Amino acid sequence: MVELIINLGIFVFLLALGFFAGTTTERRHFRRLEEREEENRGFVVTQLKTFPGGSVVSPAPQIFMAEAVIASDYLKTFLSGIRKFFGGELKSYESLLERARREALLRIIDQARAAGYDTACNLRYETADIGGATNPKKGVVTVAVIATATAYRRKQAG
Amino acid sequence: MIVTNTETLPGYRVQAVKGLVQGNTVRSKHAGRDIAASFKNLVGGELKGYTELLTESRRQAFERMMGQAQQLGANAILNVRFTTSAVTAGAAELYAYGTAVVVEPATATVS
Repeated sequence: MVELIINLGIFVFLLALGFFAGTTTERRHFRRLEEREEENRGFVVTQLKTFPGGSVVSPAPQIFMAEAVIASDYLKTFLSGIRKFFGGELKSYESLLERARREALLRIIDQARAAGYDTACNLRYETADIGGATNPKKGVVTVAVIATATAYRRKQAG
Repeated sequence: MIVTNTETLPGYRVQAVKGLVQGNTVRSKHAGRDIAASFKNLVGGELKGYTELLTESRRQAFERMMGQAQQLGANAILNVRFTTSAVTAGAAELYAYGTAVVVEPATATVS
């Protein structure tokens, strides 16, 4: 009986931890993403293979890569476990992917800006499986995204 | 060395194609990082250790690819692609591949 209460207590504690810590982390991350995206509004990113606007010869276009790994929290993992039983959309995991992709892109923009570029094309996203999602018995629920893009400096109009 | 993930390089002319160059690596972090990751999994947020792991792997695969290109005497790699595969939990395999070429500024050939 005591054991049951302790186990239940731990479970409720972890759920609460996921709810408070996880939700705060996510909200803060989204706010920071929005701020940084606003700062980088002038930096044009496309996923075209050509170089829209034309590229100057020097500095030569250069590839930039960035990665972001975002972890799920206990609440999200628990809720999606229930969701998976009934089937349907796993909303709580979608936000993880969105955060990882936006974060990786912003990291590319930061690097490219620091190197003196103002545009990037051919943006590609790649996901990795470090946590071992293909092996659900062990491993943690994570989203790992690698983004690559070619940065260049646009030709001045006229 | 000019490296891009696009098929063309504006302002430059491809003089010679040296062929496919590639680099791969499988890396992991020490067990402490894996344990830390499983704790972080309770509260959510970025797993800095694993981000670092990916950065290191990507750099290593990239350097190996660049090394091959240098050996072939290329001065640029075009159309670089990355792929990852799941070998085991806590490890990352990164594979980088591209086409090694010799390029020169297009204006140089005109004059």
